[in-house]
Amino acid sequence: MSEPLLVLDNVTKNYGAIEALKGISFSIGKGEVVALLGDNGAGKSTLVKIISGGLEPTSGRMLFEGKEFLAKSPAEAKAAGIETVYQDLSLCTNVDVVANFFMGREITRKFLGIPVLDERAMEAVVGKALANAGTRIPSLRANVEHLSGGQRQAIELNRFVHWGGKLVLLDEPFAALGVEQTRRGLDMIRQVANQGIGVVIITHIMQQAFQVADRIVVIRQGVVAGDVARNKTSPDAVINMITGETLAGAGPTG
Amino acid sequence: MNPRTRKALEFVLDNLVWFMLLFVLVVFSIFVPNYFQLGIFANIIEASSVLGVMSIGLALVIIAGHMDLSVESVAALSAMAVGILFCSSGIGMGVQLHPEWLMVPVSLLLALAVGGLIGAFNGYLVVKVKMSAFIITLASYIWVRGLVLVVSGGRSAQDLAPAIRWFGIQRLVGLPLTAWIAVGCFVVFSLIMAKTPFGRHLVMIGGNETATFRAGIRVNRNLIIAFVLAGAIAGLAGWLLAIRTSGATANLGVGLLFNAFAAVVIGGVSLKGGVGTLPGVYAGVLLLSAINTAINLMGLPANFTQVIHGLLVLAAVLLDAFKQTIRQRLA
Repeated sequence: MSEPLLVLDNVTKNYGAIEALKGISFSIGKGEVVALLGDNGAGKSTLVKIISGGLEPTSGRMLFEGKEFLAKSPAEAKAAGIETVYQDLSLCTNVDVVANFFMGREITRKFLGIPVLDERAMEAVVGKALANAGTRIPSLRANVEHLSGGQRQAIELNRFVHWGGKLVLLDEPFAALGVEQTRRGLDMIRQVANQGIGVVIITHIMQQAFQVADRIVVIRQGVVAGDVARNKTSPDAVINMITGETLAGAGPTG
Repeated sequence: MNPRTRKALEFVLDNLVWFMLLFVLVVFSIFVPNYFQLGIFANIIEASSVLGVMSIGLALVIIAGHMDLSVESVAALSAMAVGILFCSSGIGMGVQLHPEWLMVPVSLLLALAVGGLIGAFNGYLVVKVKMSAFIITLASYIWVRGLVLVVSGGRSAQDLAPAIRWFGIQRLVGLPLTAWIAVGCFVVFSLIMAKTPFGRHLVMIGGNETATFRAGIRVNRNLIIAFVLAGAIAGLAGWLLAIRTSGATANLGVGLLFNAFAAVVIGGVSLKGGVGTLPGVYAGVLLLSAINTAINLMGLPANFTQVIHGLLVLAAVLLDAFKQTIRQRLA
């Protein structure tokens, strides 16, 4: 494994008396793709929200690029270089594709000292990014509410590929995609990882995890139940870790 | 459908209120005697200046997905504050400043500050305490009007200082300066909403607050600014109102809130947030004013206006639903 990008050290999260995360420890290397698996309610989404600044952990610490890290808001996480694609899409359907692509980081030029949106520059960037990814959308100026579920998800995926950063978190990114688009999405993940960006992907589909991940981390009942290199395990072993039937072959990798 | 007709159709849909305004003006010009005069048209713009300014603030918070019911009372309080300080009879204290023109910026800043403070109070409670904007601003609507009654003792202030009144009397190209202020506000805030990141963010917050938060937009800060702006703009409306009536009464501006809502909805702003533009709102304001003027000219009892406004709001909402179905076909 290359040098660790993000290290989680005994991260816990309580909702009142309920312990959603009982102490999660694992790490993600630069350019590494980690698939995060686990049954419903295992705490995967909670973990993603903690890393991306949507939730604060109850205890434990995180190291990002070797430094103590805690994002109090998504803005802070983004500033540190962490991009997130959420399960429920984070698009504003009432504005167009370009506005969504640049949400929160619009290109502006100063006019009398006032920042003014540079629509033409933004449209050019979006057009190029979508064309590179082979995504076809009828009009970049169409409001997202008029686009299909697959097109919306494609916008989200292209957005993270474009902005990149240092670490990308994907929470079930392919839920609304067809076979061909999913394949392209997995390619995108590999591309991103090859640029040295760490990727955490949450998925329910074992096949996807084995297709794209370098390492598989299984969370069960708020703890890490398995942390194995992909080529040292099998789908059956992982399923056993998820359901908790056996912990054989689930030791941490070296 | 070829792209040309599609573009044309979208243009019409986007600017439907303006076409309605044009249609109404043409119909009135043909059928209402004496309607077709420059003076009448100037009067329509002039009569709509206070309502227009107030509608801008209301539209801002509604587009951002919230609500401000307090704008009417805030305008009244600002007008009363200006009235008490700078009126010379009634409860007016007749404060004089030298040079005289100094009273203009001072009274204006006072009105803006009163409005901005109440807006900040509303915004803080909505954003930080996470209470419904409807309830908070309803409370403000009531207590701010109460404050107007308390400070005025139910009496009125008359004879505003001439230096301030000058804005209501001095004309430029046929319109009093107060009307130009309203037009200027619409231009400035339309540009802010359409061309700046702040405006774009407000629209997106109104569309999907969670998504904007996740994208790193400072949602709370933007929302508080929107409420402060709505309050300050209402304060400006109050300042204009004081100039228009040359003073302030305890029940000044009662009923304006509902007209402002009507204008905003007719102008194509969705109460669900995220949809609508300020030029549309201005068309809505002018439409209401054009109809009022027609009713006056026809000599109908003024009570009819309310019936017509109500029906117009209903028509606007139905039209909005109709527009949605057409748009879905287009996409």
